[in-house]
Amino acid sequence: MLRITGGKVFDPANGIDGQVKDICISDGRIVSEFDGGRTIDATGMIVFPGGVDIHTHVAGAALNFARGLTPENQRAAAPFLHSPERRAGIGGPTPTTFATGYLYAGMGYTTVMEAAVPVLSAKHTHEELRDTPIVDKACLLLMANNEIVLDLLESGEIERAKQVVGWLIWAAKTYGIKAVNPGGVAAWKWGEDAKQLFEPVHGYNTLTPANIISGLAGIVDDLGLPHPVHLHCNNLGAPGNVDTTIETMKVLEGRRAHMAHLQFHAYGGDDWHTMRSEAPRLAAYFNSQPNLTADAGAILFGDAVTITADGPWQHLLYQLTGRKWGNIDVENETGCGIVPYTYKGSNLVNAVQWAVGLELLLLIDDPWRLHLTTDHPNGACFWRYPEIIHLLMNADYRKECIKKLPPKALKRITLMDLDREYSLYEIAIITSAGPARAMGMPRKGHLGVGADADITIYNQNPDGVMMFRYPRYVIKGGTVVVEEGDILHRDEGHEFVVRPVFDPKIEDFLRPLFQQVYTMSFDNYPVEAERVHGMQVSELPGTPRQPQSNP
Amino acid sequence: MTCTLGEVKNRADFIIYWGGNPAECHPRHFTKYTIMQKGKFVPNRKARTMVLVDIRETPSAKASDIFLQITPGKDFEVITTLRALVKGQRVNLDLVAETGLTIEQLQDLVDRMKKARFGVLFFGMGLSMTRGKHMNSAAVLALAAEMNAFTKFVAMPMRGHGNVTGADVVLRYTTGYPFGINMCRGYPRFNPGEFSTVDLLVRGDNDAALILGADPGATMPQPGIDHLARIPTIVLDPKVTHTSRLSRVHITTAATGISAPGTVYRMDEIPLPLRPPLKSPYPSDEEVIRRIHQAVAKRPGWRPTLNGKAMR
Repeated sequence: MLRITGGKVFDPANGIDGQVKDICISDGRIVSEFDGGRTIDATGMIVFPGGVDIHTHVAGAALNFARGLTPENQRAAAPFLHSPERRAGIGGPTPTTFATGYLYAGMGYTTVMEAAVPVLSAKHTHEELRDTPIVDKACLLLMANNEIVLDLLESGEIERAKQVVGWLIWAAKTYGIKAVNPGGVAAWKWGEDAKQLFEPVHGYNTLTPANIISGLAGIVDDLGLPHPVHLHCNNLGAPGNVDTTIETMKVLEGRRAHMAHLQFHAYGGDDWHTMRSEAPRLAAYFNSQPNLTADAGAILFGDAVTITADGPWQHLLYQLTGRKWGNIDVENETGCGIVPYTYKGSNLVNAVQWAVGLELLLLIDDPWRLHLTTDHPNGACFWRYPEIIHLLMNADYRKECIKKLPPKALKRITLMDLDREYSLYEIAIITSAGPARAMGMPRKGHLGVGADADITIYNQNPDGVMMFRYPRYVIKGGTVVVEEGDILHRDEGHEFVVRPVFDPKIEDFLRPLFQQVYTMSFDNYPVEAERVHGMQVSELPGTPRQPQSNP
Repeated sequence: MTCTLGEVKNRADFIIYWGGNPAECHPRHFTKYTIMQKGKFVPNRKARTMVLVDIRETPSAKASDIFLQITPGKDFEVITTLRALVKGQRVNLDLVAETGLTIEQLQDLVDRMKKARFGVLFFGMGLSMTRGKHMNSAAVLALAAEMNAFTKFVAMPMRGHGNVTGADVVLRYTTGYPFGINMCRGYPRFNPGEFSTVDLLVRGDNDAALILGADPGATMPQPGIDHLARIPTIVLDPKVTHTSRLSRVHITTAATGISAPGTVYRMDEIPLPLRPPLKSPYPSDEEVIRRIHQAVAKRPGWRPTLNGKAMR
């Protein structure tokens, strides 16, 4: 029971571009009219739908391994003091669970998608998300290196593979599927990688990464999942990988897909010395493919921790940097690697990476299809998003920053020629409305009647960093959770889970196979529903979906 | 660089146990995960080679193909020599002689490690808790990491003591650190050697203790045990233990996994649900802690107030 009056509302999903408009809230949802309750006078302020992060790593065994690997980061990070309203915690590149919730909410973000969950440790991921307060959550299940699924794809049993994927999504209580370096992580179990889309994966006779990508994209469409296959392409981070990325887009043949952290997949050149930006080429191709969405995966200079299921890449990064390396291979399913990393403005490769992220954001025309992320904590910490927003909204500031890059880098990038500046309307699209639509969450990312009352109110400020880092109010599910930079209320948030239609008889196929190759009992494998805090299940009708059309 | 135990079962053709005695301390390890298992890519026992490195010939040596007996306290030197040999660097033969092994034995081990398709090194407390301590663990992890330039190689600590891995995991995601955490300033601080339990007890820094799922009265150094007996110590345990005998309060709880549900983390950090077959008249640990917490929450806070409101 809340009314927000006098604010300039930016609600792109409903075409509202800065009009002054009242917003009424009742029972956690936005309603057309309501009397009584508290009124927030937002005169002169900017009203956004709560932020939605489509790709982040905030919970799970890999992230927790990273926390253990980098106590020096925790020591240097901002502490969160215990108080009657707040739990204690630590910020930094791999914040603790409670701090993660406070940091996201404190920045005006109210929904986040944890982008990499193995089935085997999904119970643990849900335990961490239970302790991540305020924000709503969803998880993506790692699937492109699951050996049971790969074996079925190799033998052409697509229908059975579909049943298995449906069963696994529900077993792990997740929202969709993620494909990381398809085939490459399975090959990494033998110390190999999959660099060629059309060559068989190590250990398989005919199965190629391309088969896996198209197979999974088809399965996702057949199951009717709200979010398309979330694709981390092969050859992440490698010079010259733009060809792989464009080939991958062609392999999809018009099927829906979400291309994760596109910045890491847009490089030209033959080696680290000749690496250059291929963002213009990638953006041009992407612009012509309406079936695709993507997130930026931009980097910022400073300390980061790289965490990815892409094991072979992390081994290379360890050899390149000589820093700590953590690796966990998960039986039959996936792997993960962790390497702390510092992006330096004086480093040619890092300078190119910094520019590529911004170039993609500026060159891809349709803001509905490109979402703001840093692949937290890989490219930069999520709480640095306001720095990227400022770079996007202010071309003069951007050009000042470009001047600080090494002169050699300027020949490898085109960022200095780009004059586009994002409007507040477009920022609302890339931080909230766009990702909510790509995630298939109709009650998120907008302020129309019936939407969840997740609202962020900013003081207008020409300094984008100040404006977006410190919202004046954040409202989550109709409750004011942040007021003048202070967390006022702990609200646990929900987890969104989909339940695809699958034939329960698939368990008869899985059970004997499972007992053979796993080391736990089949009955202990699925996540119990009680373990998922505030679970909201979408039942799927099982009808194929058409590619989303965007305005 | 580690993996889940299923990877070992399905792939490992070269298994090293270092400073541990799995035959007696982890009796199901051989049969469930390593040498006795038929794996997806390893058909039988013959396809696996097992090496045991220890300071004495334990019953585990019988199960091994190669047993390397090293001089006590020389683990770090052996690992460092192996790291040098892996990279083809020169080693000082006088120093090798002190380890109790010959250069031929070590070179043979390195050759076998490099020839393996998938190697795994399990290290126990005989490595991590003897002279060198965490330096030994760091060296062994570095060895496994560097082996990946040649073949697939992973390492894993052989953890025990009930759900110690679970405690480690939960502390990491709630505080950022695995153990040795001090919350006195209202946020987590980490300093092993200063804030770890044994150091606090031996110095006598703490003025109360709540002991859950552990029996420090049986394992701590005597000054630490004496301190526990001096201060109000509360123990939650299903049975009478050394610690419960010296405590002021012993709350009998249901045994987790037998008569109380819960989650246990395996040594490879995979959570497993516990389904109790029996009922217990006693409350679970969780319920006792929750009730203590509720009672404490009702007490007025220590926090300074301003105009009747807690200061932020």
